[in-house]
Amino acid sequence: MIVDVNAYLGHFAFRQLRHNTAAALLALMDAKKIDRAVVSSVSAITYRNAQAGNEEVAEEVRGHSDRLIPFAVINPFYAGWQDDLQICHEEFGMTGLRLYPKWHNYQLSSQCCRELVNAATERGMVISIPIRVEDNRQRSWLLNIPDVPPEEIVELVKACPKARFILLNGIGYVKSPLGRKDNGLPANYLIEISRLSALLDNEIGQLIASLGAERLVLGTGMPFSYPDPALLKIEVLAASKEDKEKIAGQNIAPWLHL
Amino acid sequence: MSQKQMTIPQTTVSSPEHRPHISRRTLLKGSAAAAVAIGAAALPSACATVEQPVPGTSSGPLRKAKVIDCHAHLNHRSRATWEADDHKLIEAADKLGIDQLCCSTLTPHWPATLDGFRECNQWTADGMRRFPGRVLGYCYVNPGYGREALEEVRRCVEEREFIGIKLYNEYTCTEPVVYPIVELAIELGVPILHHASHSHYFVEDQPRMSDGGHLAELARRYPEAMLICAHISGGGDWEWTIKALRHAPNVLLDTSGSVTDEGTVDMAAAVVGVDRLVFGCDSSMTAGVGKIRGANLSTQDKEKILGGNMMRLLRRRKS
Repeated sequence: MIVDVNAYLGHFAFRQLRHNTAAALLALMDAKKIDRAVVSSVSAITYRNAQAGNEEVAEEVRGHSDRLIPFAVINPFYAGWQDDLQICHEEFGMTGLRLYPKWHNYQLSSQCCRELVNAATERGMVISIPIRVEDNRQRSWLLNIPDVPPEEIVELVKACPKARFILLNGIGYVKSPLGRKDNGLPANYLIEISRLSALLDNEIGQLIASLGAERLVLGTGMPFSYPDPALLKIEVLAASKEDKEKIAGQNIAPWLHL
Repeated sequence: MSQKQMTIPQTTVSSPEHRPHISRRTLLKGSAAAAVAIGAAALPSACATVEQPVPGTSSGPLRKAKVIDCHAHLNHRSRATWEADDHKLIEAADKLGIDQLCCSTLTPHWPATLDGFRECNQWTADGMRRFPGRVLGYCYVNPGYGREALEEVRRCVEEREFIGIKLYNEYTCTEPVVYPIVELAIELGVPILHHASHSHYFVEDQPRMSDGGHLAELARRYPEAMLICAHISGGGDWEWTIKALRHAPNVLLDTSGSVTDEGTVDMAAAVVGVDRLVFGCDSSMTAGVGKIRGANLSTQDKEKILGGNMMRLLRRRKS
C-alpha cells in the first residue's frame, strides 16, 4: 500500500495548480499507483477564515473517503477555532490537522497553539506541520514567509509528548536534534521524505540509520509538486524492501487507522 | 589551435560497470516508481503497468537515446570528502540511468580568482580522465580576467576537450566584460551554461545575478551564441523565467534545480518548445529525473530533453 501523507486540494494564491480537484488528483494517483492520500485545503493557507477552505475540501472528498483522507487547516488565533475543530472532526470526518504557524502568524509555543494541539490530541487527531509551502526564492513580492525552524518543532514535540506529529516538506533533519539518535525527544513525530535526498548526501539513509525506517513516511507534495521525484526516492533508496514498504505506507497506516 | 576533431565520448549503457538501476523505459514514462521499488507483491499490477505504452506516445521499442545531465558539478578539493563525493555522483548517475554529466568545478568563494578557476578547471580535466566518457567538462572562468579568461577557455576547449563554458555570478551576462567570452564561444562552437535566477526581491549575496531577461537580451545581441539558462527549477520564479525567454530562440532552458513544482517542464515545453529544453540535475538528482518523468510529454519529447537536444548542441562544436 502506498500512502501519500502530503497532498492538497484547492487553489493557491500565487500559482495556478493542476490536478487540484478530487477527481483530478485521484486520476493522478491512479497513474502513479498511489493508493491513498492525505489532503488539506490549499486555499485555507491564505484565507483569513481557514474554515471555508476546510468546507471546500469536505465537499470535494465526499464519496472518496476510501482514498482521500481529509485533514483540517486550523488557525488557533482565529475566532471560533474550537467550533471549527469540532465540525471538522465530527462532521467532516477529518482525522488530522495541518498547521501553518508562519503563514497564519503565530508561534508554535503560544498558548493558543498548545491548546489546539492538546484538543486535537484528545480527539485522536494527527497534527502535520508543513515546514514550508513553496521555495522561498520564488516567493511573491507581497510576502516573505520563513520556513518553520527546527528548534520550534523540537520544543513542540517535547512539550506535547502525547501528540502525534508529521513533519512535511522539511530538510536538514540530520543536522537538527530531530534527526539525531538518542536525541532525548519523544518518538512522537514522523518525517516525510519529499525534500530529503536519497542519493549523494542520502539524508533518508542517514535518518534510517539514526531514527529507524519506522520514523519516515512518503509524501509527494502533489499537486504543488510532481509526485514522481518523491516516488523515485523510494525506488533508488539503498534500503531493504521491508524498509521501503514501511516508508511507502506501513508506518502511517496505524496513525490513520488504515 | 588544435585541428583535432572533437568527438563526444561514448558510453556503453549496458556495460557491467554502468548498469542503470532504472531502465530507460521507466525513466521516460513516469511510472509508478514506488510500486516497482517495493515489489510486485505489494501492488500486483505495478510492473505490468510500467510496461504498457502511455496513451499518445510511441508504443514501439525505445531507442537507446543518450541521457545527458547538462548541469553537474564535481566537488572542490577543499572539501575533505571530494573524491568519495565525486564517486557518489557517478553512482547516482548509474542508478538513474544518466549516461553523461556535463560538469564544472566551482570555487567555494566568489568572485573567482584567476588561480582559483584555473585550479578548478584542472580538477575538471582530471575528473574527465577519472571518469572517461561519463564526465564532460565545462570551463569555468570569471570574465573579469579578460585575456587570461579567454586563454583559459581556449586552452580548455581546444587542448582538454571541454565541451562548453560555465559562467557564474561575477558579472551580469549583459555587461560588456562578458562579450569577449561569448564571442569566443561562438568561434569555438560551444555552449555557455549561465547561472541565472529571478526573484522578486534583491538577492544581496548575488548582486550581479543574471536572469532569463538578461539572457534573452544577450541572445539578441549574439544570435549565433548557444546559451543555456541554468536551473529554471531552482532559479526563483520559473514562470517568469520561461516567459522571459519565449522569444530568445538561441537560449535553451536547463530543467535542473531542487524545486519540483508540478507543471514546470510542461509549461516550459508549451511556451518555448521541447527542442529548447535540456535535462539537468545540478546535484538534485531525483528531483531532476523525477520532473521529466512527471511531465505530460511524449516519449520522443522526453528523449529530446533528456539528451537529444544537448547532443545537438554539442555537435555544433567547430574545433
